[in-house]
Amino acid sequence: MPKWGMVIDLETCTGCQACTTACAMENNRLPGENWQDVLFYSEGEYPNLNLSWLPRPCMQCENPSCVSVCPTKATYKDEGTGIVLVDWNKCIGCKYCMVACPYGVRFYMDEAPAVEPDVRAEFPASGRRSWNPPFKMPDEYEDASKGIGIQPKGVVSKCTFCYHKVSQAPAGVADLDEDNPETKEFTPACVRVCAPKSRFFGDLDNPDSHVNALIAEKGGVRLKEETGNKPQVYYLSGGGSPAVPGNRSRRS
Amino acid sequence: MAMMTDTAPTSGHDTQGRGSHFLLHLIVALVLLALGGGYALTEILEFGKVQFNTNNAGIHWGMAIVTYDYFLLTSTGLAMVASLWHVFGMAEFAPIARRALWLAMAGLVGGVAVLFLELGAPLTALWATPLNMQFASPLFWKVLLVGAYAISLAIVLFGMINKPDAGRNPLMILVGGLALAVTLVAGLVYGMMAMRPVWFGGEIPVVFLIESFVGALAFTMFFSHLKNGFNHSNMRPDTRALFEGTLARMFAIAIALHFILHAGRAITGLWSNAEGMQVWGYMTAQPLFHIALWGCVALPFVLMVLPGTRSNGMMQIVAAALVMIGLLISRYEFIIGGQMVPMFKGTWAPELLSYSPSTGEWALLVLAVGLANTVYAFGAWKLGAEDRA
Amino acid sequence: MDEINTGISRRKFLATTGTTGALAATVSLGVPGMGLEATSAEAQAAKTPNTVVTKNICHQCPARCGIDVYTTDGRVHAIYGTADHPISNGKLCPKGPLGIYVLYDPDRWRGPMKRTNPNKGRNEDPGFVPVTWDEALQTVADRLNGLRERGESHRAAMLYGRGWGASCAGLLGTFGGLYGSPNMPIGHSSMCSDGSIVAKGYTDGNASYNSHDYRNCNYLLMFGVGFLEAFRPYNNNMQMWGYMRGRKTPKTRVTAVDVHVNTTLAAADRGLLIRPGTDGALALAIAHVILTEGLWERSFVGDFADRQNRFVAGQTVTAAVAPEPVINAETGEATSPEITGEGFVEKWVTGLVDWWNIELKDRTVEWASEITDIPARDILATAREFGSTRPAMAIFERGAHSHTNGIYNGMAIHSLNALVGSLFAKGGMAYQMGPSYGPMPADANEFKDDWANNGDWKTQPRVDKKGSSDGYLLARNMMQEIGPNHLAGDPYKLDTVIFYQNNAIFTAPNGQVWEEAMKDVFIVDTSPFPTETGHYADIILPDHTYLERYQDSPTYPFEGYPLTQLRVPAIKPIYDTKYFGDVIIELGKRMNGPMADYYRALDSAENVLRHLAKGFETDPGDNGVNSWESWVEKGVWYKKPYFWQQRDGVFFEWDGTDYNREMTPEEVGQKLLKTPSGKFEFRSAALEANSDWIVGATGRDPANLMFPIWEPPVHPGGGDLYFVTPKVALHAEGRGHNIPMVIAHLQPTVGGRGEAFVEINPVTASARGISDGDRVRISSDAGSIEARCRVYAGVRPDTLVLPMEYGHWASGRWSKAVPTEHCGEATVNQSDRITGQAMYYSTKVQVAKA
Repeated sequence: MPKWGMVIDLETCTGCQACTTACAMENNRLPGENWQDVLFYSEGEYPNLNLSWLPRPCMQCENPSCVSVCPTKATYKDEGTGIVLVDWNKCIGCKYCMVACPYGVRFYMDEAPAVEPDVRAEFPASGRRSWNPPFKMPDEYEDASKGIGIQPKGVVSKCTFCYHKVSQAPAGVADLDEDNPETKEFTPACVRVCAPKSRFFGDLDNPDSHVNALIAEKGGVRLKEETGNKPQVYYLSGGGSPAVPGNRSRRS
Repeated sequence: MAMMTDTAPTSGHDTQGRGSHFLLHLIVALVLLALGGGYALTEILEFGKVQFNTNNAGIHWGMAIVTYDYFLLTSTGLAMVASLWHVFGMAEFAPIARRALWLAMAGLVGGVAVLFLELGAPLTALWATPLNMQFASPLFWKVLLVGAYAISLAIVLFGMINKPDAGRNPLMILVGGLALAVTLVAGLVYGMMAMRPVWFGGEIPVVFLIESFVGALAFTMFFSHLKNGFNHSNMRPDTRALFEGTLARMFAIAIALHFILHAGRAITGLWSNAEGMQVWGYMTAQPLFHIALWGCVALPFVLMVLPGTRSNGMMQIVAAALVMIGLLISRYEFIIGGQMVPMFKGTWAPELLSYSPSTGEWALLVLAVGLANTVYAFGAWKLGAEDRA
Repeated sequence: MDEINTGISRRKFLATTGTTGALAATVSLGVPGMGLEATSAEAQAAKTPNTVVTKNICHQCPARCGIDVYTTDGRVHAIYGTADHPISNGKLCPKGPLGIYVLYDPDRWRGPMKRTNPNKGRNEDPGFVPVTWDEALQTVADRLNGLRERGESHRAAMLYGRGWGASCAGLLGTFGGLYGSPNMPIGHSSMCSDGSIVAKGYTDGNASYNSHDYRNCNYLLMFGVGFLEAFRPYNNNMQMWGYMRGRKTPKTRVTAVDVHVNTTLAAADRGLLIRPGTDGALALAIAHVILTEGLWERSFVGDFADRQNRFVAGQTVTAAVAPEPVINAETGEATSPEITGEGFVEKWVTGLVDWWNIELKDRTVEWASEITDIPARDILATAREFGSTRPAMAIFERGAHSHTNGIYNGMAIHSLNALVGSLFAKGGMAYQMGPSYGPMPADANEFKDDWANNGDWKTQPRVDKKGSSDGYLLARNMMQEIGPNHLAGDPYKLDTVIFYQNNAIFTAPNGQVWEEAMKDVFIVDTSPFPTETGHYADIILPDHTYLERYQDSPTYPFEGYPLTQLRVPAIKPIYDTKYFGDVIIELGKRMNGPMADYYRALDSAENVLRHLAKGFETDPGDNGVNSWESWVEKGVWYKKPYFWQQRDGVFFEWDGTDYNREMTPEEVGQKLLKTPSGKFEFRSAALEANSDWIVGATGRDPANLMFPIWEPPVHPGGGDLYFVTPKVALHAEGRGHNIPMVIAHLQPTVGGRGEAFVEINPVTASARGISDGDRVRISSDAGSIEARCRVYAGVRPDTLVLPMEYGHWASGRWSKAVPTEHCGEATVNQSDRITGQAMYYSTKVQVAKA
């Protein structure tokens, strides 16, 4: 059983947001409601301004706080992949998982549109189906029990690490690399499009995986170690990083 | 038991006055319910909850959750006040126990109704929560406990319908215990959130307990006076003794504890450098905070501490009303404040998120007030909720 | 919750969109015989058996990334980069995946239409009504035929924006030649980046953008290019960036010059915030340091005869005088003795000594620091790094040359490439080769009638006065002048204009003039989408979107070797639209005279493409593409390598195995350095040859106008703040502003979601009582606009930055809902007199709280 993880190299990331838009289209996200977002920060005074950015998918935590707060087990850690998923058939839309996620990566459907006019009205659907874009993913991919497809009204969604792709990968593969023809189609959308190749996807439980090598060699760090959530997404910062792993969140 | 028969009222006059009095209350409540509920339901059915001012940037729980928790905790507090007589046998509180229990049911119905309108899939919650046994989630426990609390409370009230002289009910041990548990778990829902520093801390269940209790005392006070037409002299002697004595003192002490916890958390928050705590700086710069703390906590405390005002009926009404409003503001600031620092939003969100309830969200509050008062007034009118005291 | 699981049925989908499923000419995912590819694809196909992948080229910028278009059950649902495509290499930029929204944009035109309201204007409803294609085409053809019969064919024009290849814009020139109009076509290059093309033409003789060898480059110096936002090919730039900055040894060092901190500056090793329009001064100071510190590439530039560096600030140098050849008395052979003395001996350059003496010797870092507002120490450090790291490239684009002094800024920057010897070098820059296309189905010259060959139209100037001595004699195009010229009737009034990929009424600087000018012109618009120009149209002939059409496109300058690619329709056209290439052919068939026979011979755009592909039969691509069918399957034909390389001052040509064949100076001049001298000209012979006209038109000094000199820029507009309006990563050349996913992400650096913010420095803002988030009014002599501002410490205090994207008033509902107004309406229409470049970034404006 793989434990899929991601490595994001901030040294080469150009902040272009291709990960964001590729994810948005692959997963039929509403405009601006991004499972995968690139966050920008600026600090300092002219002319010495530090503009920085951070691509932020779901961290797919080992100890996800969203899972433990969900009153119906609608959010769960998929055992076969190590991916945190939402069962839309069980989600009651209480949004506790959104409150409890330290990384702000969960999305409720019934919110005002980020961009007007509302595309949900432009591509209307009936019942609990929230909208019906003509570019919707293939029917075969949709799986409400895993939170894949058109997000229904009244439920919460999140990044699935492109479960519908990743879960098709041949057993035992260490890395899902978009440059390898054998694994291209199984690579998550955000990783596949990344032009500077700042994203890597592989099995954290496989000692020979490239992601593990990168984490070890380039000093991969995780966000908000103090939460103990133990993300399965690691960041490379170009070598030196002042982040110190917390005792309880050290990789086991 | 003797005391209760001792103070049997002059029922003829009372019944006559009660009828018109409670019918008027019921009509007003139904009007509020129709207004609030009508607006909220129309909006939700027509546009969906996209009209609410909550958002995916970080304000996930808005006015509806504030209203729900406010009414729920008021309810559990009232059940605890009733337990003073029913469980602990504090006879002084017997005159208000029945009213407190009816008010508890009223608050519970109002709060839960709002929650059901807020939840994305409320019907799913009914089966998915008990069937999935997520022991790790405080909300799982909260749903379970609220359900048990509602059922046990309903049973107790059912047994009281039009039975003016019912004595201590042993089932109230269960009701009181569940009320306490619901209150503490409601605190845990927030207090366990280590990723939200404004909420995080073991003291939050205690804070909720105090607030729940002080709120219950305020509601008891207010509705007791309301029942008596806001005329102190209409009160029966035993009730009056309670109001001029133990209840007022207990109210003063509860307000003081509430003030200490509230101010203490504000001071801690202002002092702390921890990310997330900057909200306290923002909140304490807003007039609302000071209205709540000074106007709605400190002032009632003073009113209830000074002997001259403590036993004055009008002052009690004022203090109770202020506390009721203040608690709503505090609950609002607590729930919204805990979400104001956006998590991992970069330039896509401001440094502090802003929120104010939409018309529809205000309507939910009106709905809750209307529904709760409908339950209470109907209970008083037809089911004997005010047959005692 | 069964509704969730019930996907919309295919039947229902087809009913709503009119789609009839994927075309036959597509490539199934499980490509047999493809080895590894199939492993992945077959597993994928097991899950989604109806998925087909077609090859296409992204349409959202000039880069021409090869894309795989995924279609399942008639729905186009995903776009990814084509793995075996040299530009995209399987990757995409943020625009790429959004192409499927372009296809399904609900605001698309549904079919051909004609106008019923004769009045034109922003607030006039055109009153479009549907017509048949036949009626629409015949209306246009009748109009063109009528003009021709009256001897006024020059009053018809075709204006195009992003032309792609031989099957679209490539047909326009032939049409103009057969029909007889100097204005068929007029390209948009002057509103694009002619400033760089012309500057390169006057120095190294290649009027073109460069191809670049980033993979082997160790130092990049970038002037106003937005390398990580807008410079093309953006997707490939970022791939190269990841390599240069992450995996390459040694890591490529980068200095970026701009007027605000964008992602390029933030990601670079050094970001220099320069005063707008002064990039040339910075380049001159860098050249000065390179020379005074002896850092130039001697093998390419040459050296002082005695190898002593005599470049000292403020002091002149002399050119070496070649000694008389010595004649061997016995054999009669002449040999040139070694040059001696203090003079400088130039190798592949001309005019260095004069340039130094006339200009460079005084261009110290201190001098440049005053002009550019960049600290002297930063200029010096940049110059030393650039001069001492090989290979190094200095690249520039509009930020540097979109000013009155743009020609000189461009020449000065490009001269740095000569000084460090990076022209045609490994890790340097070169130029692009064309593809091995087969001949067209017919030769247009055989179909010309007397009017085409000798008509009066040949004596008419172009309406944009390109090539006119009272206009822009040396420019390549002057599209921005067409509106004003037509309004003034100088040189004449246009009658009919056909627009292709061109929304000039919106895009032209100070487009308000166009709004007035185009009222009495018969306008034919061919965009699939509503546009401002379309709002003025009399006939709408909507094109297919790019996922619905066959279309070729040779690469933009990329890595030099020839490459051309193909769009293959993923689905049948959703609406009643027609590919623009076919529109031109169908129009041609309706023209009087022999030209109709030519278009009957072309038959259709697809037929043209099939003929072009015949060229591959004798010259198969590296990926095995040798036919129309294989081109359709692979989507790209390319053939490495680039033929030429300069090593240590010696030019070599590929001999089939390596760069082994040394080239003669004559060959270099013919094939690579195409200047009159066959060398890189610091002293531009071509400019010198036009000295009289330049002096007359600009008042410049005939003594130095042919050198890369410093000339202070002139900023019209009457304001006190520079107004810079860059393109950002999501800018899709007029196809992004109506995409909600673009609107949600346009300006991430300052959180521009749902609108674009004016970036304003905190000091500038507070001096004017402006707070973050205020709506502000930006005014110049051209006009005034409003937008919300973001107080941002990363922008110069003397500059406002507002991304060029919004302010559309007739281009779809989403863009119309954006509250940001159009920067072009506050931009003065002023052009570089030599390059013709429209100066989008030279206007000065005032800002105040709205």
